Amino acid sequence: MLPTVSRNVRLYFRLQITQLRALIEYRADFWIGIAGAALQQCAGLVFISALFSQIPEVQGWTVWNVAILYGLVIIPTGFVELFCDGPWRLRADINQGNFDRVLVRPLSPALQQATAFTSIHGLGQVGLGAVVLSIGLSRSAVQWEWWSIPFLLVVLVCAATINGAMNFVVNMTGFWEPSTASAFPTMVVSMREFAKFPLDLYGIVLKVVVTLILPFAFVSYFPTLLLLDRGGRWQLLGLACPAVAALVVLATSWLWRRGLDRYQGVGH
Amino acid sequence: MRIVASASTRTKPVPKYVSIAQTSLQQAIAYRLTTLFTIGLTFIWVFILYYVWKAAYSDQAVIEGFTWDEMRTYVVLAYAINALVGWRIGAQMMATIRSGEVVIELVRPLNYCGTQLARATGFAVVEGILSLIITVIVGLLFLDILRPASPFMAALFILSLMIGFVSKALIVFSVSLLAFWTLNGTGLMWSQQAIVQVLSGTIVPIALLPGWLRLTAEVLPMRGIVSTPLTIYLGQAEGAQIVQLLALQVAWLIVLWIGGNWAWRRAFAAVETQGG
Repeated sequence: MLPTVSRNVRLYFRLQITQLRALIEYRADFWIGIAGAALQQCAGLVFISALFSQIPEVQGWTVWNVAILYGLVIIPTGFVELFCDGPWRLRADINQGNFDRVLVRPLSPALQQATAFTSIHGLGQVGLGAVVLSIGLSRSAVQWEWWSIPFLLVVLVCAATINGAMNFVVNMTGFWEPSTASAFPTMVVSMREFAKFPLDLYGIVLKVVVTLILPFAFVSYFPTLLLLDRGGRWQLLGLACPAVAALVVLATSWLWRRGLDRYQGVGH
Repeated sequence: MRIVASASTRTKPVPKYVSIAQTSLQQAIAYRLTTLFTIGLTFIWVFILYYVWKAAYSDQAVIEGFTWDEMRTYVVLAYAINALVGWRIGAQMMATIRSGEVVIELVRPLNYCGTQLARATGFAVVEGILSLIITVIVGLLFLDILRPASPFMAALFILSLMIGFVSKALIVFSVSLLAFWTLNGTGLMWSQQAIVQVLSGTIVPIALLPGWLRLTAEVLPMRGIVSTPLTIYLGQAEGAQIVQLLALQVAWLIVLWIGGNWAWRRAFAAVETQGG
């Protein structure tokens, strides 16, 4: 068991670093990608700063509190684009039958798919997110305890895991509905935008959607409640982040095996 | 452009740019689900902005001259208008530039810039207008958005909307040309989207932008895409002001058209110097 795991980890990094190195070869493209990713997030920041220049706080949330949410959403997004963006190639690979190649290699298909592709622009999101998060934390009334920093790190890792698994889930629909391009995966994944703002503001339907159906609230909202010591008993859900991540990974791996069974190739 | 006699439409060919628009219209219809999910994608931020502003207005009746009724209308319509020119047109152009298929475009007896505009129109007829209709229905039924200030303003709004549509298509066109120099089309599209979102007043009305950004947004062509039509729709501008706004839109339209065509010739020259 253990040797297999360590072999997989080693291979993962090997494959991933090859991909990243290939991307860095193109200097100008590298910077354009990073700028594009950072600019995209800046549009939302412009909205936040415009809003809070008019009103000091919205339902008890200050601009710095919202910055924490924002940072907690975009850092893991960036990490996943750097380290697990391969699933976005899955639909095209299934459609064209290239997925055959993945299946005949003596390597875990999921590992190969995770490293099939990488987007260097994730760096732009990680960088911007780290800045936004630290400014937000330093200017909010955070109840700093010994566990606060380790807790944040655990949340970020679990958040990245959830996002990575979601990348697989949304693109795995290709096993059942093998059309090359669809805006469906993009739409589902984009719902994480909701988690950039406090859940308190949304209507009941949206609250249920981003908590139970797509667990994005566990990535930003609940952990932030815990850090800011507000929200009463709801803040305890912030501790559930690792459990949610584990559940999502289990569900994804079950679905992945079902998907592999479904795959028929295209008659090569 | 030739005018086709109505009696003989079957035997005579359709005007060339119209037939290009028809092709992309058919593509948009063929990928119905994609079109629907693209609309859903637009709605995510409409919902976010709707709820955040709703909460903000619970403490305050007027924010920077916008009442809650006006802001709600603004948010819902701004996203629908900005979605009139989607990502498909730029993505397609960049793909043909990358693969080199763009060379074929040169052989055709058509203006390349005009061809892309015709394509954008075809997509917009399905994707854009569908999302605009859905938005307006959802808006009027559930979100209780305001109607245009007056029938005359409604007419001016549609005129301004059309100028804004062509402006945005031309901006996307010019940005896509950069694909001649870089392989990172996604990065370009993202930058373009983000800049248009801010400077057109989609994400937040221009009046609420911080000082320097506001001044920049007021003179640039992007405001014509969303801000100008909506200012007219809401009746926030009058007489001479409207004339000024429309004149600025038309002036930028001319600049963008000339600039786009010039950039296209330059861009194509760049390919030849590399040896094709």
